[in-house]
Amino acid sequence: MLYAKLQRFVSSIREGLNAGFVAGVVNLFLILIGISTQLRNLAIFLFLLVMMIFGIRLARRLRERSLGHVMLNAVAMGAVATVMIFLLLALVNRWQAKGIDVKQYFNAITTETMEVLSGVPEEELHPNPDIDPLTGEYEAGEPLRTNPLRLSFDRDTAIHLRFGLTGQSWIDLKLGLGGVHGFMLLLMLSGLLSAAVVWAAVRVDTSRYRVRTSAYVAGNPIAHWLVLLLPLIAFAFLWLTKGHAGGGALINLGSGAQQVQLLLSFMIILFALVSIRAAQKTTRDLGYSTRLAVVVGLVILLAGLAIWRIVGNNTYFVAPPSEPGGSQTLSIILVLAIAAVMVLQNIRALRDPSRFESQLAGTVSLGVMLLMPLYLDQYQNDVLTLVGINILLGLGLNIVVGYAGLLDLGYVAFFALGSYTYAFLSSRQTVMDANNQPAGLKFDGNTEMVLTLAAWMVTAAIIASAVAAIGIYLWRRRETIHAQQAQATANGRRILGTRAVRPSKSISLLLIVIAVGTSLIAAFILDSSGVYDRVFSGVSPFLIGLVVGVITSGIAGIMLGIPVLRLRGDYLAIVTLGFGEIIRLLFNNLRDFTGGPQGVLQIPRPLPDGASGTVTYLSIVYLVFLGAGLVAFFSIRLNQSRTGRAWSAMKSDESIAQSMGINLVQSKLMAFAIGAAFAGIGGVIFAARQRNIFPGDFNLNVSIEVLSLVIIGGMGSIPGVIMGAVVLIGIPEVLRELSTYRILVFGALLVAMVILRPRGLLPAPTAELQERAAGLLYRKKEGQL
Amino acid sequence: MSDGAQNSQPILQATSVTKRFGGLIAVGDLDLAIMPCQIASVIGPNGAGKTTFFNCISGFYAPEEGEIRFLGHPIQGLRPDQITGRGIARTFQNIHLFAGMTVLENVLVGIHANLSSTPVGALLRLPHNAHEEDLALAKAYELLEFVELAEVGDYLATNLPYGSQRRLEIARALASDPTLLLLDEPTAGMNPQETETTMHFIRRLRDERDLTILLIEHDMHLVMSISDQVTVLDYGRKISEGTPEQVQQDPLVIEAYLGAPADEAVSGFLDD
Repeated sequence: MLYAKLQRFVSSIREGLNAGFVAGVVNLFLILIGISTQLRNLAIFLFLLVMMIFGIRLARRLRERSLGHVMLNAVAMGAVATVMIFLLLALVNRWQAKGIDVKQYFNAITTETMEVLSGVPEEELHPNPDIDPLTGEYEAGEPLRTNPLRLSFDRDTAIHLRFGLTGQSWIDLKLGLGGVHGFMLLLMLSGLLSAAVVWAAVRVDTSRYRVRTSAYVAGNPIAHWLVLLLPLIAFAFLWLTKGHAGGGALINLGSGAQQVQLLLSFMIILFALVSIRAAQKTTRDLGYSTRLAVVVGLVILLAGLAIWRIVGNNTYFVAPPSEPGGSQTLSIILVLAIAAVMVLQNIRALRDPSRFESQLAGTVSLGVMLLMPLYLDQYQNDVLTLVGINILLGLGLNIVVGYAGLLDLGYVAFFALGSYTYAFLSSRQTVMDANNQPAGLKFDGNTEMVLTLAAWMVTAAIIASAVAAIGIYLWRRRETIHAQQAQATANGRRILGTRAVRPSKSISLLLIVIAVGTSLIAAFILDSSGVYDRVFSGVSPFLIGLVVGVITSGIAGIMLGIPVLRLRGDYLAIVTLGFGEIIRLLFNNLRDFTGGPQGVLQIPRPLPDGASGTVTYLSIVYLVFLGAGLVAFFSIRLNQSRTGRAWSAMKSDESIAQSMGINLVQSKLMAFAIGAAFAGIGGVIFAARQRNIFPGDFNLNVSIEVLSLVIIGGMGSIPGVIMGAVVLIGIPEVLRELSTYRILVFGALLVAMVILRPRGLLPAPTAELQERAAGLLYRKKEGQL
Repeated sequence: MSDGAQNSQPILQATSVTKRFGGLIAVGDLDLAIMPCQIASVIGPNGAGKTTFFNCISGFYAPEEGEIRFLGHPIQGLRPDQITGRGIARTFQNIHLFAGMTVLENVLVGIHANLSSTPVGALLRLPHNAHEEDLALAKAYELLEFVELAEVGDYLATNLPYGSQRRLEIARALASDPTLLLLDEPTAGMNPQETETTMHFIRRLRDERDLTILLIEHDMHLVMSISDQVTVLDYGRKISEGTPEQVQQDPLVIEAYLGAPADEAVSGFLDD
């Protein structure tokens, strides 16, 4: 009778027991890999989180059952999980009591782990609570209390919850629950809580409310405008937390301010993306002058804030050679110039009333993002720079992976090439060999070579463009004369555009030969006559490095592209992965030429010698912004062009794309080259920011991280890549405590993303061309096109 | 090329084309000539080598022997994109639209071969690039109007119903402004009424757009009512050729489709 009752009871809570077992295993795994020791009291929250996730799952599975049934299962779950954890800890304690050094076997299980879990304070766990300053461990001795199973319900051995950023405690709670009882109670409570909430939510059927809420937000102009102005609101918060011109901040965040401000700056970036996307094509009955007044007013407000900051806090971001500390006048002039460009752009664009919202959102977002670095300190700007470089890399990889669908795991190679190119061209370090003689590539004193290279490139570019322009002009003239014959011999191929048949291969080759030949001769004459020295001696090495670095990376992209043309999917990934490692190993091992593992040191910033103050980091941050902005702009343009469509088609189905007339070789190489060139820009800026680069900076992890941020953000989506970079690179910087687990979080996020949002956080919207196409056809029929 | 010249010489001429897969002769010693503005059909039982022959024309396979001349120029061995550039477009037996692209974008990809803009031009949005893009968009919309899909231009192509996907595939093939259109079983999986509509549509293609059409089809009613010329393949070889009436009465064709008594088959073989 009793046995039958017990059996029925156990079978009714079987779901809970199973869930508790799995949750316990997950928590044990977290302990064994050392989460709890790293996070100290935060570990409790982590365990509670795990229990809540399983509680939610439990409540979903049992949603048809009564509340009592669900609660009973939740309690069982908590109990089983706790017992499992404590069995392990009891075992560990038993071993320790017997003199077996557990640390030798389980590196992660330390006395600290047990302190966190058992609630036994340090003083009682260790006979001598002083940490050895050399090894960081507690001195040996007989522990006072080690076995958590022996603990009693004791207010003094409470779990001490301390939660705060960088030492400051926001939450400082001493729960009167110690040992196994307290821990079990906590786990059960968290399971119960989540189960109850989910059970209630399922019963009440929230979907109706959700629909109503989203309809309210969509139909409510105030909510809509709030979304549009989110970046401005976030910036207002940031502004309030900062002191101005010597005065204190209006909102004082204390010691956690740095992290909060950094988070705010990320929010500004994310809100900017949201705001631009939320802008609709509405025709509000606002006159042209009203529309213009609103937007221009905001631009003037932002420019005014910038100038106030520049003057009040001596925050400069440009430094001419005469003023290495930064020039106030130049900074102000630049701010005014940017504001003027924005105003002019709006004057033109706002004539179209339907563009009001997008213009407003775009102008405000851009303005606030440009203003933001002026209000951040060096550390925060450094983090922003890192995020920006990753955005740059992500956008480049997005071309290869997101647009063209070529899975490239060796993307870091092009980044490294860009960095090393700039390093070689600019480093002031002299590498000595064993005999103390300058060895291999001498970094210092190659100014002459750099100048000649730069000058030659300029000459070649000018002459090549001239030859090409003249050649194409002559070809076209010939074309018009022989237009009818050309039509007859064009093998049935019809051309849609204004330009007729392209010059044939032999003509193109002739043009190239003429261009190269003429520029060689010109370069030789100009070099020997000393013109180069006079003209180019004042050019910043950064500019030269940027151009050469981009070209080097682009060529490397083509060189990688050629052998992998026939490969697809997994095979392509493996080969590119190998290529990335080859480049890194070359830089590591060609010691005589690259400095080997010691890297290249003393790389100059894109600033005059002796630069100091805010200009040292602000100039880099704006450089990154400029680079990322340009790359984003190029990406948008390319994606909307014939090339972008060819990539997209190729990604969807290579052989069908080929039968549509797409040259696969050309398209693939183009994608590799452009993606690599963008990585080159990132690399040059990275080298200028780090000032010392090592082969270890360019390991596989960089490729994986960039790929992760593209996938998590949304493949083929520019806002997605930006969001991915902020989430995966920026947020871990804020949560420094967690950064050890970045890879773990990456993995978990990737798995979750692929299951929950396979197209990314902010997937690319589908193109909306129908309206425009219909308009164009109408114009064509009217004969206006 | 003047009209007179076009009428006198075939637009596509295949001479003893052979394609083998290992020991299997997929297409053997095939001769075929298509005159301009005709609808020519290739029929035959499953596995007769019809699609292989299409793949040889459109450049997916390079035939081992023989020659394919298009408008007088040999095209065998060229890449598919080069052949599309010369003016041959095709559709596929199983619908292959570009997933993740809208209906309009699919057609725009089809125009690719006729555009000349380069990435640099696209980056700088040079005037002639922009103009070309506008022309392409207008043309894509015009084609969608032609196949009655203009209303769904911004839909994802793969979300369209089956019949519309077929029409879109044809629009995409038309976008490259072909001289010769290869249609691989355009009515596969359609009901009789849809087949009827498609038949009128194919006629319209020929009449309104001056296209030459080469058709693979299993629907005999459709083939016999719209073709000017029918070629019958069996085991990779041409067994009959002529007008629909001639082909319908050819004993070899009847045999290939319906089978024949053993002794008749042997005597037929000896007669050859």
